[in-house]
Amino acid sequence: MSYFRITLHRSAIGMPKRTRGVLAALGLHRRSQVVFHPVSAQCAGMIMKVKELVRVDEVERPLTKAEVKAERTPDPGFYVERAVPRMADPTISPSSSAISAAVKELGRVRSQGQGGQEEGLEVRL
Amino acid sequence: MFGPFRITSSLGGGLLWKIPWRLSPTQKLRQRRRLRAVDKVVETLSNALAKKGETLKSLERWKAEMPTEAEMLSKDKYTMFDRKEKRYRKGIHKLPKWTRVSQRVNPPGY
Repeated sequence: MSYFRITLHRSAIGMPKRTRGVLAALGLHRRSQVVFHPVSAQCAGMIMKVKELVRVDEVERPLTKAEVKAERTPDPGFYVERAVPRMADPTISPSSSAISAAVKELGRVRSQGQGGQEEGLEVRL
Repeated sequence: MFGPFRITSSLGGGLLWKIPWRLSPTQKLRQRRRLRAVDKVVETLSNALAKKGETLKSLERWKAEMPTEAEMLSKDKYTMFDRKEKRYRKGIHKLPKWTRVSQRVNPPGY
């Protein structure tokens, strides 16, 4: 089953009522609008009436409205990055147990040394 | 000749449209493209219906009677018959809505 992909390329402004009626019957109301109709003699006759105003292709399946919009939409030129969880790799980042041990160590040292022992404190992760 | 009440064609008659008597080369280029676009639509319809084994009277008639863009003489592409014109020809751009209607054939002998 193949379909006609019909695009209204030229405006129907100032055309006879019959011509505008044919376009309305095809479902074309504004320029660059795309409609799909199954290949049939009836549909082909309607296209023949407005052949100067439309562009026609034969396609295998009708596209949805969203698909037609997607092929018209240009590439935005950017993409939004999302934060992703880091991969657990012991050779690069410390495991969770090592981090918790280091935090415990830091708390112990803080509680002990009140004075000038804070400087030079280093916790290796 | 001078002064506020001078008569010129636009002031005297009000509205004046000046249509050049011949098409410019770019207008002719676009005209050829439009002719080819219509040929392409007819060809698409014809191929699609032939695959289904259907025929269409208006399509058959168009293909029998109308020349394609390549078959047309430049005389017929850019000018059309008019009985009131000198030498019976005028530019096709004098035809109302000329970019959106088909005007391909002229009386034989003219």
